[in-house]
Amino acid sequence: MEENRTQGQEVPKFRGLYRYVHISVKALDAIIIACVAVIILVTLFSLRDAGYRVTFDSRGGTDVAAEKYQYGDHIQLPEPPTREGYTFGGWYLDTACNEPLTEAHTVGAELTLYAKWIPTS
Amino acid sequence: MINPVKNIQRSAQEYKLLDAKDKKRYWMDGILNNALYILMAIFVICTAILRPRFLTLDSLGNLISQVAAYLPLALGIGGCIVLTGTDLSAGRVTGLTAAISAVLLQESGLSNKMFNSLPAVNPGMIFLALLAVAAIGALIGMVNGFFVAKFSLHPFIVTLATQLLTTGVILWFFDLNGNNGQPISGQDQMYKDFVGGELFRMGRTPIPMYVLYAILLTALMWFIWNKTTFGKNMFAVGSNTEAARVSGVNVFWTIVLVHTLAGAMYGYAGFIDGVRAGSVSSVSGMNAECDAIAACVIGGVSFVGGTGKISGIVLGVLILRIIFVALTMLGVSPAALYIIKGAIILCACSLDMRKYLVKK
Repeated sequence: MEENRTQGQEVPKFRGLYRYVHISVKALDAIIIACVAVIILVTLFSLRDAGYRVTFDSRGGTDVAAEKYQYGDHIQLPEPPTREGYTFGGWYLDTACNEPLTEAHTVGAELTLYAKWIPTS
Repeated sequence: MINPVKNIQRSAQEYKLLDAKDKKRYWMDGILNNALYILMAIFVICTAILRPRFLTLDSLGNLISQVAAYLPLALGIGGCIVLTGTDLSAGRVTGLTAAISAVLLQESGLSNKMFNSLPAVNPGMIFLALLAVAAIGALIGMVNGFFVAKFSLHPFIVTLATQLLTTGVILWFFDLNGNNGQPISGQDQMYKDFVGGELFRMGRTPIPMYVLYAILLTALMWFIWNKTTFGKNMFAVGSNTEAARVSGVNVFWTIVLVHTLAGAMYGYAGFIDGVRAGSVSSVSGMNAECDAIAACVIGGVSFVGGTGKISGIVLGVLILRIIFVALTMLGVSPAALYIIKGAIILCACSLDMRKYLVKK
């Protein structure tokens, strides 16, 4: 116990990667408390606008507004966009239109969906 | 055998003997030393209240898969930290080996297959690909280890250089054969099943095969760290290089081999990542080393050198993943996620130093 008390003033030597570090227990306590406070505050701040943005890239068609979803939600499809000379072929997860958006798909990250256009003539 | 109940009774008696000031210090020490565990508990409780989905079997299954996926990198980097070093190239080596294994095991007959001359995938090829990427990782690790051991260069500098070199190789690799930097997808079903095939189901979430491999790998690393001469030499070099050299440890080869082993681990992690994300892009594995280093430090693999346990690394990865799964479910923005990651690393290092100071 006696030894512990003097540590606020006397700074013992570190080894290894902390070789050149000079810091007291009190300063470390302050850093730890500050870090935890920052983590909690940033999380709380971020929670005001939580969720993942799903962007609809209509690629030449009429604009479709982006929507925000929570983790694990199913995507509610908006009104399909229109484009002159084409019919709308559904929303796809990739630009090459190989992976269609399925019913089972749940939101787990920011996502962009791409419209597929089939020429009418 | 020590009776745990008696142990608790004894510490309770000791606690009663303390005066008021020491009692306060006892609680402050307890709270500060376990700051990250308390933080994790707060996250778990808040997420469970805000997102009831968090406390389901599905979410537990997701957590297990994530721990298994992040464990190999941490197990590799752990050895470098025991040597008071670190490895900044880990993430990029994983990215490179993920791209290589995805290309080697791409489905045949694919229109955008990168190398059409490669034969159709068979079990032997999967095994060869695994060996190949582990060897590539080991080679990069060996380069790291050689420069650290031979010239006593600081691992931060050496591995920063290999990180950038590997990034260059990755970008170049993605431009090969007219690929133009496109992500690589269309991995063969056999490869997908070998890595991500269903082991069993937890709720509706399948537990992939790589969970089993992660358990085997952890057992292997535990054996290497605790039961081999190499493992003991690693701890000796980490705690005091000069003393180790005087007592006859081959310091040069110990350092080279620790880095080589770490490199092989990144290679294996890349092999898993080649399937896990669906497609491999040129930014795959970017900054993955930060998570691995943070997990190790949280788990008590100290930057002081020469201390650390495999069980600690597993615990560290678990705590970090619980926090991040909670944050993902809460839907915290990427910006906040980076700030939180930075604060967690700083906090973990401060805790690491604090434990060392208070113990002394």
